[in-house]
Amino acid sequence: MSYTHPEVLVETDWVADHLNDPKVRLIESNEDILLYDQGHIPGAIKIDWVGDLNDPVVRDYLDKERFAALLSAKGISNDSTVVFYGDKHNWWATYALWVFRLFGHADVRILNGGRAKWVAEGRELTRALPNYPATNYQAAERDDATIRAFREQVREHITQPGTALVDVRSPQEYSGERLHMPEYPQEGTLRGGHIPTAASIPWAQAVNADSTFKSYDELLDLYGKQGVTPDKDVIAYCRIGERSSHTWFVLSYLLGYDKVRNYDGSWTEWGNSVGLPIEKTYKG
Amino acid sequence: MSRQAAIEHLLDHYEHPRNRGALAAPDATAIGGAPDCSDSVTVYLQLSGDGKRVARMTFEGEGCTISQAAASILSEAVIGMSLIDLAALDPNVWIDTLGRAAVETRQRCAVLPLRALKHAVAMLQQTRAAAIDR
Repeated sequence: MSYTHPEVLVETDWVADHLNDPKVRLIESNEDILLYDQGHIPGAIKIDWVGDLNDPVVRDYLDKERFAALLSAKGISNDSTVVFYGDKHNWWATYALWVFRLFGHADVRILNGGRAKWVAEGRELTRALPNYPATNYQAAERDDATIRAFREQVREHITQPGTALVDVRSPQEYSGERLHMPEYPQEGTLRGGHIPTAASIPWAQAVNADSTFKSYDELLDLYGKQGVTPDKDVIAYCRIGERSSHTWFVLSYLLGYDKVRNYDGSWTEWGNSVGLPIEKTYKG
Repeated sequence: MSRQAAIEHLLDHYEHPRNRGALAAPDATAIGGAPDCSDSVTVYLQLSGDGKRVARMTFEGEGCTISQAAASILSEAVIGMSLIDLAALDPNVWIDTLGRAAVETRQRCAVLPLRALKHAVAMLQQTRAAAIDR
């Protein structure tokens, strides 16, 4: 079978053919924030998840007004086709896409294979910065109910039938073997393990070696065999919600699951919270 | 330094790293890592004859542009520095040296090599203190 929403994926040829399409805006979003500066797809805009999408004080995303200001300044209109791509199998690209969906931007897509595939094919990169005329973007109120989950919702979720919880971190993080280094307490957790009932399906299992997404059948098998099936209310989490946005994208768009939310508080919130249960399988 | 100048400086060091590679017989070495970013840096330290100053620092590692460029810049900046001054080097001052506007959203990566180097010095000094105690 083909993906449920194949229109959300574009291939490198499609991007090459639309480099000068005024309706299309390419957005590069990376873990390595200077990768864009080393060279990017001609015309691409840079969006940084820390600097652009996060509130600098509150642990939250930007609000409606700042999202509108950001997109207006970047030259993105409400009817723009926004194509995200980036490093690390599009990990951060899907995160940016998820935030755009919180504000209801309609036409969002992912470059299948991301930056790695574009580079591997020897396609053009440039250091020239695009300069698009500012727009008057009208943002919707941020919808925190449909595709975003919060701690107390997760707490209720794990007690309910017909639900699934997906831990997309590494097996070592899931088991509780791995905690982060003490030099980095700002993202550290006090406890290792996972949220009770969570299935362990590391996010990158959804992609091939060339960063393209696996086939519909492979993905359905990957999630289905662990009980993450289309009939369920699904929540995905990782450490801070970025890796799980990748899984959210796969489940929502490629497999067409109706109800999938991303718990961006994730393990850095749950693992540190007073009174919340965890499971730990690592016995070391 | 403007943000763009800082970026150009970082890219220059990333693309043309100085002092990259291991030292055969370092006086001290340490590994630093930022797991979320898949960054790792191993620093090698060679001291002056009196053991009080940095004669040479080299590094190996992999990861994002900022962490690797910061290691290269650090390897030039610490030559001749006393171990006392190195131990006292404030990460915030180091971030300003690199260009705060360019690295402020990835401060952890920016200070990773410095933290590794300070850890190497701390371990060295602990070893020296233990030798004196014996």
